[in-house]
Amino acid sequence: MECTMVTRKSILWRTWGWLDDRYQLTSLLGALLHVEIPRTARTYYLGGITLFFFVVQATTGILLSLYYQPTPDAAPGSILFIMNQVNFGWLIRSIHSWSATCMVLFCILHLLRVFIQGAYKPPHQMTWVMGTLLLMLTLAFGFTGYLLPWDQRAFWATTVGTEIAGAVPFIGEWLLAFLRGGADVTAHTLTRFYGTHMLVLPASLGAALVIHLVFVHQQGLADPARPTGGRGEAPVGAAASQPKRRLLPFFPNYMLDEFIAWYLMLAALIVLASIYPAGLEAPADPLHTPEHIKPEWYFLFLYQGLKLVPRTVGVLAPFVGGLILLVFPFFDRNPHAFPRRRPIAMLVAALILIAVVGLSVWGSSS
Amino acid sequence: MKEEDRDLTQPDEQAPALSRRRLITYLLGFSVVTTLAGVLTPIIGYLLPSGQASAGTGEPVKVGATADFPVGRGKVVSVQDKPVVVANTAEGGLKAFSAICTHLGCIVEWDANRRIIACPCHDAHFNPVNGAVISGPAPSPLPEFQLTVQGDALYVTPS
Repeated sequence: MECTMVTRKSILWRTWGWLDDRYQLTSLLGALLHVEIPRTARTYYLGGITLFFFVVQATTGILLSLYYQPTPDAAPGSILFIMNQVNFGWLIRSIHSWSATCMVLFCILHLLRVFIQGAYKPPHQMTWVMGTLLLMLTLAFGFTGYLLPWDQRAFWATTVGTEIAGAVPFIGEWLLAFLRGGADVTAHTLTRFYGTHMLVLPASLGAALVIHLVFVHQQGLADPARPTGGRGEAPVGAAASQPKRRLLPFFPNYMLDEFIAWYLMLAALIVLASIYPAGLEAPADPLHTPEHIKPEWYFLFLYQGLKLVPRTVGVLAPFVGGLILLVFPFFDRNPHAFPRRRPIAMLVAALILIAVVGLSVWGSSS
Repeated sequence: MKEEDRDLTQPDEQAPALSRRRLITYLLGFSVVTTLAGVLTPIIGYLLPSGQASAGTGEPVKVGATADFPVGRGKVVSVQDKPVVVANTAEGGLKAFSAICTHLGCIVEWDANRRIIACPCHDAHFNPVNGAVISGPAPSPLPEFQLTVQGDALYVTPS
């Protein structure tokens, strides 16, 4: 027994040693894992949870693609086949649907957390830029994936959504044709959206994610307890007498906390998918627009806003807003990170949040 | 120690108590294994074909008229999206067999010259009376389907 246990352990260690000799895995893992997290990081899990939902999306998306058929004639039938005939197909599809919602939600919460804690301030501006790009790519995932069931809701929500792009001044017509693969939403649109959803966006998001994580790893996390967000900046005012920040090892302490959060999210996904499985409406009919077509919840504020303002304003506002979101860290001159020391930023953010949430609620009930 | 040498007035040595660390490790291991099983089971089940889609309805399907199949004639028809070879021979009359060659799945044909069922891929030959392998690499006979004549129409019942 003792001899067997020694042999088992040594086989594992010998395998590790064989790999380590060739690829210096110990030092590589050491560099990746032995970083330190500020001990006050209670809200840092939101980014990791978003990453978890992306992994769930990638896994369930690949599984769905094994049965899904991206043509107008076959798409709804293949979805029905997945839901009714394939073992656990209803679970995989429902998890995919709920995880999409959760990924967008937690990406937004993560963005809000970073903004409120001033973690975008120097030297973290590029991390913010990559994070904003990740949010936009996530929304693009939602937009392209929405068409794939090719039911009435998918078809007409995409018709309206792409029509908005056509209202952009100067390039609208070209943009519309580019998105739809023609003048109207047809089979060309479906294959274009499918290819984008399955190939272009995963590659883009994967690359942006790696860059985002490399930035985070190289710079370390901004400590919300510090008066200034950065690491290299001199403390301002009373902060000069702040004690040295307390640190926590990433591995295994912080990783364990992350895994617990992921475990809870997985449980939540399974419960949501079981109680509220994904549905499917009637197959798309290009000749009949159903009443009360609405986009997904994360586009509702745009949908409602377009009813209230001139079309050009409603169309350009999200582009301009997205651009401001992307670049504002480079124009923020306030060196403080504490929310109380940034009243204007907090006020503007609160007003925008109230407007977005209000328009979304209004849009859902109109 | 021999049984008779044991001091029965003293209690046996107690097994070492399970430490808290060991218990937590076991619980953690159990949780990880259960979670993995819970995640992998639906994924593996999802990947395995359910088998329902390929089942036939069992209702007879009309494949043509008796006039389409004089003696010496045969052809491949579709019965609920499955290929079936129908042939009429002097020895066996009208028969229907699965047209999927039992060698590697190619669709067989009716060889009018030799009056046999032949596979174009690797030249397997099948007897049109009972589906048996005459020659070639096919390992087993072609499965037979039930063929009925109603009036001047031919019906094949898929299995």
